[in-house]
Amino acid sequence: MSETTREPDARQIATEARDRVRFEEEALALSDQVYRVARHLVGSREEAEDLVQETYARAFRSWRSFQPGTNLRAWLLRILTNLNIDRGRRQQRRPDEQPLEEGDYFLYNKLEAAGDGETDEDRVVERLSQNDVVAALSEVPHDFRDVVVLVDIGDFTYADAAQILDIPIGTVMSRLHRGRRILKQAMAEQAVGT
Amino acid sequence: MTAYDPCAHCEEVMQQFMDRVLTDAERAEAEAHLDECAYCRKRYRFEETVRQYVRQAVAAEPMPVELKTKLAALRTPLQ
Repeated sequence: MSETTREPDARQIATEARDRVRFEEEALALSDQVYRVARHLVGSREEAEDLVQETYARAFRSWRSFQPGTNLRAWLLRILTNLNIDRGRRQQRRPDEQPLEEGDYFLYNKLEAAGDGETDEDRVVERLSQNDVVAALSEVPHDFRDVVVLVDIGDFTYADAAQILDIPIGTVMSRLHRGRRILKQAMAEQAVGT
Repeated sequence: MTAYDPCAHCEEVMQQFMDRVLTDAERAEAEAHLDECAYCRKRYRFEETVRQYVRQAVAAEPMPVELKTKLAALRTPLQ
């Protein structure tokens, strides 16, 4: 009896070890992309590094709960955003602190007004350094920034972002649209002042 | 009551247009307006540049090499 049960067990262990190694390798291959998103979800590089490490530690521990064939990158980001919330890093913002955003043409119009009526696409590149863009992004309030970072920088779909942040897809869309407008407003401030 | 302003409407749907989530009819309406409106056309083109520039600016900072090593060390040791 023990002969018949031992053999499948050994095979099972070998299969599990192989699946785990594959999972770990696939997860590690995504670490650049995970870090890039994390870097802009939290305030500093140090925080992002800590958070990514914690995320991978937890992912490696609970790899069995990942369903093969689903989006591993989204699964990792889901862990990361949950850890970020657990750590209490997310400051609660009162509704009255939500910024009023301008329209989508605000940045263009600001640059046009600051120039001699001549505005082309290159103006934004001339006026804003990469650091200015990063600084402008960090000024966007968390709720809006999370969605902008996931969709526009992480290339997640609306549906993935909804799942990662555990919010309805309609909320993803409205926060994304408002968040982009707020970002352009912050970029306009960087570029031409208020 | 305010009159229908096609440029305001075009601005309103710009993000959905670029995210390719408009219905065919909405998209056709926006395209028809863009064909005849240089004001909106310039702003749409500008938006595309801004999006690309933001993505590029934000991606410029690479992941620290030491972090990669630390993550690899978190793997379960082989028995």
